[in-house]
Amino acid sequence: MHVPVPPPRHTTARSRRLLQATAWALGLAAGTAFSQTGGTGTGQTLRIQINSDIRSTDPGGNRDDNTDNVLLHVGEGLVALREDTSIGPMLASKVDTSADGLTYTFTLRDGVKFQNGATLVADDVVWSWQRYLRPASNWRCLPEFDGKGMTKVLSVEAPNPKTVVFKLERASALFLTMMARPDCGSAAILHRSSVGPDGQWKEPVGTGPYKFKEWKRGQYVELTRFDGYTSRAEPRDGLTGGKKAEVENLRFVVIPDSAAAKAALYSGGLDAFISPSPADVVEMRKRSDVVVDNTPVMSMIALLLQTNDPVLKDVRVRRALALALDTPEIASTVTEGLSVVNNSVVPSSSPYYDAVQATGFKRDLTAAKKLLAEAGYRGQPIRMIANKRYESLYSSAVLVQAMASEAGINIELEVLDWATQLDRYTKGQYQSMAFIYSARIDPSLNYEMVSGDKATQPRKAWDSPYAQARLTESMVSRDKARRQVLFDEMHKQMLQDVPMIVLFNASDATAMRKSVTGFKGWAPAKPRFWNVRLDASP
Amino acid sequence: MKKLKTHTLIGGVLIGTLLILAVVAAVWTPYSPLGIDLRSKLQAPSMAHWLGTDEFGRDVASRAMQGASTSCLIALLTVALATAMGLVVGVVAGFMRGWTDRVLMAFNDTLLAFPGLLLALGVMVIVGANQWGIVLALSLAYAPSVVRVVRGTVLSLREREYVEASRMIGNSEIYTMWRHILPNCVAPIAVLATSMFGWVLLSESALSFLGLGVPPPAPTWGNMLASARPYMASAVWLCLVPGLCIALTLLGINLLGESLRDRLDPRTERA
Amino acid sequence: MPLYLLRRIAMTIPTLLLVSIAVFTLMRLIPGDPVLLMLGEGADPAQLELMRHQMGLDQPLVTQYFVWLRHALAGDLGVSTTNGLAVLPLIWERFHVSAAIVLTAVALASLIAVPAGLIAAWRKDRPTDLAIIGAATLMLSVPSFWLGLLLLMFFGQFLGWLPVVGYVPMSENFSQGVLYVILPIVTLVLVETGVLTRMSRASTIEILRLEYVAHARAKGVPESQVLRRHVLPNAFNPTLTMIGLILGHLLSGIAVLETVFTLPGLGRLMIDSIFARDYPVLQGCLLFTACIYVVINLIVDMCYPLFDPRVSVQ
Repeated sequence: MHVPVPPPRHTTARSRRLLQATAWALGLAAGTAFSQTGGTGTGQTLRIQINSDIRSTDPGGNRDDNTDNVLLHVGEGLVALREDTSIGPMLASKVDTSADGLTYTFTLRDGVKFQNGATLVADDVVWSWQRYLRPASNWRCLPEFDGKGMTKVLSVEAPNPKTVVFKLERASALFLTMMARPDCGSAAILHRSSVGPDGQWKEPVGTGPYKFKEWKRGQYVELTRFDGYTSRAEPRDGLTGGKKAEVENLRFVVIPDSAAAKAALYSGGLDAFISPSPADVVEMRKRSDVVVDNTPVMSMIALLLQTNDPVLKDVRVRRALALALDTPEIASTVTEGLSVVNNSVVPSSSPYYDAVQATGFKRDLTAAKKLLAEAGYRGQPIRMIANKRYESLYSSAVLVQAMASEAGINIELEVLDWATQLDRYTKGQYQSMAFIYSARIDPSLNYEMVSGDKATQPRKAWDSPYAQARLTESMVSRDKARRQVLFDEMHKQMLQDVPMIVLFNASDATAMRKSVTGFKGWAPAKPRFWNVRLDASP
Repeated sequence: MKKLKTHTLIGGVLIGTLLILAVVAAVWTPYSPLGIDLRSKLQAPSMAHWLGTDEFGRDVASRAMQGASTSCLIALLTVALATAMGLVVGVVAGFMRGWTDRVLMAFNDTLLAFPGLLLALGVMVIVGANQWGIVLALSLAYAPSVVRVVRGTVLSLREREYVEASRMIGNSEIYTMWRHILPNCVAPIAVLATSMFGWVLLSESALSFLGLGVPPPAPTWGNMLASARPYMASAVWLCLVPGLCIALTLLGINLLGESLRDRLDPRTERA
Repeated sequence: MPLYLLRRIAMTIPTLLLVSIAVFTLMRLIPGDPVLLMLGEGADPAQLELMRHQMGLDQPLVTQYFVWLRHALAGDLGVSTTNGLAVLPLIWERFHVSAAIVLTAVALASLIAVPAGLIAAWRKDRPTDLAIIGAATLMLSVPSFWLGLLLLMFFGQFLGWLPVVGYVPMSENFSQGVLYVILPIVTLVLVETGVLTRMSRASTIEILRLEYVAHARAKGVPESQVLRRHVLPNAFNPTLTMIGLILGHLLSGIAVLETVFTLPGLGRLMIDSIFARDYPVLQGCLLFTACIYVVINLIVDMCYPLFDPRVSVQ
């Protein structure tokens, strides 16, 4: 620890200055060479920005979105999401379901290799699943498989080295969907050497096209090509399909500040920038050295209205608010035209999004004012919580406030930090809030996240027995047509009840330098960097 | 003398303009600072909007004017409160020494060691996310610095002959503190206070930058600067205007503070 | 002297305890659940409970505090809830980054400011003084993070001379490491020099007016000696306090600059831990920062008598 020394005795500082001056001169020479792209030829590294450090290297354990994004290159499960968000086989070559839905038989593909050279056999699947089912492993999806949620896994067995049999307690339409969930690490099958002899996590040894190389905490995570990767035959399809590690190294660099990331992308210090803001996208589209890939995704921005609140419990007030807003305008302004309006909980990129789902609210100030008068609303302030961590959320709240005031609805914005807002959300302690829901890959899951019994689950926005009955049925029935009917009925009811006003589904953009080719974004917003090439010229 | 006049002149002009704008803003601005007009988003300065518009089409000049009132009010109240608290504690601690000093400094160091952000978050949760919360939080954050400087000055001053003399002729401690110590603290405090005004403006800006601070959509220079970051390359005026406002205000305050100090000090040489 | 040191250090212990208790309580009073933040809004309540239990968050507050204290006294500051890293090594590593920049900047600023203030006071009201005080006032009027942003835009993006993002420790690669810290240091130096120059000038003016200086001059002592032996030591006191204040204030206040320049420093660690409600890391950071303040204050207090013999080290 340095002592602040008075001026006449600053010899150490003086020589330090000289050293730094020399280094500066040298560094300047090196610095001009610095701002090139990441290497050419063999030993190429694709530098990708992530906005916070990953939580751990254990798929589905202590994780967040960034952790998933990285680890989905390393691990693969029995099944995985297809490009259209249906479920397809990944490590399994086929899946057979018994008629009663209680037994699932997975036949494994031949010759699949782990990143340590071992060949995948059924025992590895059993080992992985037994580990997931142990509470101590902290697997995110455990509640769905241990009886508390959708079903209970009674046993996982390997009758022969190529077959794995799952026996369930109750049938569910979502068994394979849950298994494929990206936020549960796709239930990646890992080799037992990922864990130490004492059961402590070491590092992931999976079957994916990239293997774990290095994690420099707070700075970057690096993955390197797995040369022995056994690819599926068909073309790239979501998280399944054919995968080829074209670029040798993937380096996920931690840059929380999006302005800095953008600057780095422009100057060549970065090759890919995940989730630039809509304003940035507009700016980048004007440049010739940067390419933006934009896809609608399944996360959702909505206004939650607390139906227990004295002012908002009158459905006329809620409906008036919905009619006071020009939701298509909000959607297109906030996202700079990248997203369109969606007043339904079902994401617009879902296979279940049909004409009924596309119906919503149309702005009508006169009707809104009439409803307010009927309800006896006298301009009482309605507090709306928002936060600045999610720009689109904040911008939406500002626009909502302005538009609502035109109908005479007095909204006061309360900007909190995310942790506080989450807390209030969970406890249901709000009048209204602008909220963002992360992606769910099935409409049942979408409806499930917003509806429920408020007494036991205060975070649920919609307490409706009508909806609950249909929701439960949709989770069990495996008949697509029937499920569509159920979802449509729920949506129509929601437009009547107005427990919330869904604004739009987020749009995920990925900005890349022109030298990056082959990338394609998709609805679940999990970026895939296999089958992506880095051209030599910057 | 010549220096005095230039300083006062420039400082006076800057602060005078600021005050006029702040007062005017209370009754009139060219446009409503909250008025959204999505068709005129991100327009460069023009005849219609002298300082351009922001990402919601709001008039930047109007927002800057209202921001003047808000940011400066917060800064003024904070500096006043922090100086008052710090002066009292610092003089008592430095003059009394002994256990009084030790206990006071222990609490002082505790407060000083608290990160401003945590303090701000904590205070605002209790008081509410509004201007008063920020004033209180920032005063608590800066008072310890005042204490330290005052105490340092007092430590030197108390050994002076006239202080000894005052005690010897039987004046009470409080009288001595009031009559002899306090007036001599004014000069360093004046300098510190003017620096603090700047720190407070910047702290408010930092809080806004990090998502706290005066809740939007009400404008402060701090939150205008924070919202301007994504548009640095495409709408540079959004970043320049609030930054310049802060810089010019600080310049004015500092210049005025200088001449104020020169005037206050009874022993300034009249060249 | 050693006795004095020991006594001062012993006296800081209550402060440290006070800080840790205050922070502990405050953090848990502020709404926000680290487990909920970690697992996300769709997480199952049973899993949330399990995680809370594993992290010991379901215990009463007092128990939690004493568990932490017990470990802290043994040198174990726990493990981060966001990434499982040991807290103390994490803090130490981040501290190097912040300290390198802050210390260099303050040292450089002092080097420039103290003599500048001295000269300005000595040549009071003449063109040299006006120039110096004018420059100082301008410099301290510019918001540091605005300046940082502008410099970054200009040198990083527009000219492309310096890297815009990232960090390489100088211990790993000196010449590259230096590139990353130039801009933050320059930004800090520019602003802090202004502050220190003014302080130095103000206190020098005070001293210059005192009788014993006039005496010394009347006795015919050469001007430079007057400055060196009589003026500088006395004028330096308030400036020294200011330097101590600035150092302490910057070491945690540097967070915004670290964000602008994306440096993995202590400031950003603390802010991130507040937003993530990462209690172990926050506690650790605060304890660490408190220790640093104490050390700085101690050193500053010990330096007072060096410059002004009349101040006794009581």
